[in-house]
Amino acid sequence: MLANTEALFQAVTQLSQPITLLLLVLGIVIGLIIGILPGLGPPIAIALALPFTFYLDPVPSIILLLGIYSAAIYGGSISAIAVGIPGTGAAIATVQDGHKMFSAGRGGEALGFSLTGSIFGGLVSVVCLAFIAPLLAEFAVRFGPRENLAISVFGLMVVVRVAGQSLSKGLLMGALGLFLTTWGLDELNGTERYTFGSYHLYEGLPLVPFLVGLFAMSEVFISAERAHHKIQFNQSSLKVKLPGWSTLMKMKDVLLRSSLIGTVIGIIPGEGAAVGAFFAYSEAKRRSKKPEAFGTGIPEGIVAPETANNATVGGALVPTLTLGVPGSPAAAVLLGALIIQGLSPGTQLFVEHPDLMYAIFIGLFAINILMIFIGLVAIRFAARLIMVPTSVIVPTVMLLSFVGVYSVSNSFFNVGVMLGAGILGYVVRKLGYSIAPLSIGFVLGPILENSLRQSLTLADGSVQEFFNTPIGLTIYAALALTILWGPVSGRFKRRQIS
Amino acid sequence: MSCGTIPGVAIIPVSWSGLRTDMLTQRLSNIVFALVIVAAAVWFAIEAQGFKAAGLLASSGLPSKFFPQLTLGFIILCAIVVIALYGTKKYAGSDVASTVYKNATEARQGLAVLAVAVASYIIWSKFGFIIMAVLMGPLCLVAMGIRSPKIYIVVLLLTGFVYVVFTQLLNIRLV
Repeated sequence: MLANTEALFQAVTQLSQPITLLLLVLGIVIGLIIGILPGLGPPIAIALALPFTFYLDPVPSIILLLGIYSAAIYGGSISAIAVGIPGTGAAIATVQDGHKMFSAGRGGEALGFSLTGSIFGGLVSVVCLAFIAPLLAEFAVRFGPRENLAISVFGLMVVVRVAGQSLSKGLLMGALGLFLTTWGLDELNGTERYTFGSYHLYEGLPLVPFLVGLFAMSEVFISAERAHHKIQFNQSSLKVKLPGWSTLMKMKDVLLRSSLIGTVIGIIPGEGAAVGAFFAYSEAKRRSKKPEAFGTGIPEGIVAPETANNATVGGALVPTLTLGVPGSPAAAVLLGALIIQGLSPGTQLFVEHPDLMYAIFIGLFAINILMIFIGLVAIRFAARLIMVPTSVIVPTVMLLSFVGVYSVSNSFFNVGVMLGAGILGYVVRKLGYSIAPLSIGFVLGPILENSLRQSLTLADGSVQEFFNTPIGLTIYAALALTILWGPVSGRFKRRQIS
Repeated sequence: MSCGTIPGVAIIPVSWSGLRTDMLTQRLSNIVFALVIVAAAVWFAIEAQGFKAAGLLASSGLPSKFFPQLTLGFIILCAIVVIALYGTKKYAGSDVASTVYKNATEARQGLAVLAVAVASYIIWSKFGFIIMAVLMGPLCLVAMGIRSPKIYIVVLLLTGFVYVVFTQLLNIRLV
């Protein structure tokens, strides 16, 4: 794929279509708006836009969603800095220093650092994505059912491990997501499973309504609980001051290190933008000559998490595109968009649609460049967006979800599924469960079931044969190490302390 | 009214004059939820026993019930672990003492908006989109206890905007 100039030309042609360019800009604007609004994060933003992709070709639809994804992560930092309420989970680490700088009357500088860091991290991760993804895809050509099973189990387990405090709750949600994909006709032999006599369920629970319900509707119900919370802040500090060249040079180590941390953490399924941001923040603090200054409102405390959280976007796309294993809940929704377009994420995507792959790489690069200009304009309107009452957001998002999901196939059944998923999401979130394993289990379910059944058939009852795959064994070993690392490092730390 | 046998489960007098959110402790709610999950999983597992493949494909590969029953077994196992964890006093999850809702207002608003969503679905299927769209916004605002007329007007304007975008720009028939 690396030397496919024809595909590269096709990608550039598709990207330069007016509709694609328009959607690229629109995606950034929508992402910024939703990112700035506290409570609504990238998965919700992408889920709400997902129904629209039914009417678009693959390249424009993926570009729209990538624009939303990148911009929503950056947008979260604006409300984090201005009001101390992170618009997204990815911006939680930014609050500490960002809001302190803002409160000290240096809001413009803080916003400038967050914008610069986000763009830099995004660009570095796109370059990494463009180099790593084709290599990984070439390697993944060797994958058969047993390897696919191993990688799906790895993806799901890692998400379960990092989502929430309780492993048993995470596992329960992951298994529930997998179980819900078994509804409908069995792909292998046509058996009806949990169709309850309804032809609507022959194809199983539809992906888009389920994800919109799980992310957007559950958030609507939770946001309704705090409809009367008021936000107050000093709007005069919302003027961006971009850092100069000399300032950036002083921070080049933080920028580069955080970009790489974000990209690598993005590649690991489940780790996500929030983990990347915190990791980069703690690394910047650990390596700083003045670690005690972190948390008091210093530029490094903004640059490190903001660079890393945007770098996770490109990283998360590596396993999503090459292996079909989503790196984060937002990537899971993005994976759904590819499936809607009739594309099978994985190695075949690189072989059959190299133009789409190039379009994604170039498009994501363009998104990050354009985000500088659109971001500068958006910050001027940020004050108005942050002040939008939750009571206005709740009915609007609810109506958008209803209409968007209905419009996918003019079906009330879809709306019903969305509502059911929303109620399920609301209940489990209230009880302290994470919906990330549920969503990723739901996306990975069909791959996992098919590869498990094929693997068991191939093994013909032999356990040895089932695990007789070097790649699969390596993946299982990596999974075991990942799971054991937490308790082992914890015990090691306790010993050191005692 | 006071009773209670499960350690740590606070049984609180129920009052219909106002929601008592302290009656919904995380411990009690999680145990009840996990029990419901176990019961549902058992029912689904029994249902899976009746899966029948059609014609020639009936004997190909593993039976269709295999994967659902595998995941259901795992779900039951996890739910039992959750029950056991919340049943023990020293659960490290540390949310045992907290409640599902912070206060009655939050509970009322969240649940009322959920009820509005369900009602909107029914209204749409029975009376059509326009009536549902016009009612959904104001009903949500009433459910959240919003009194400002300005917000009602903004929400209705946004409803009109969404309707125009979908019907005029995207040519979707909303009936």
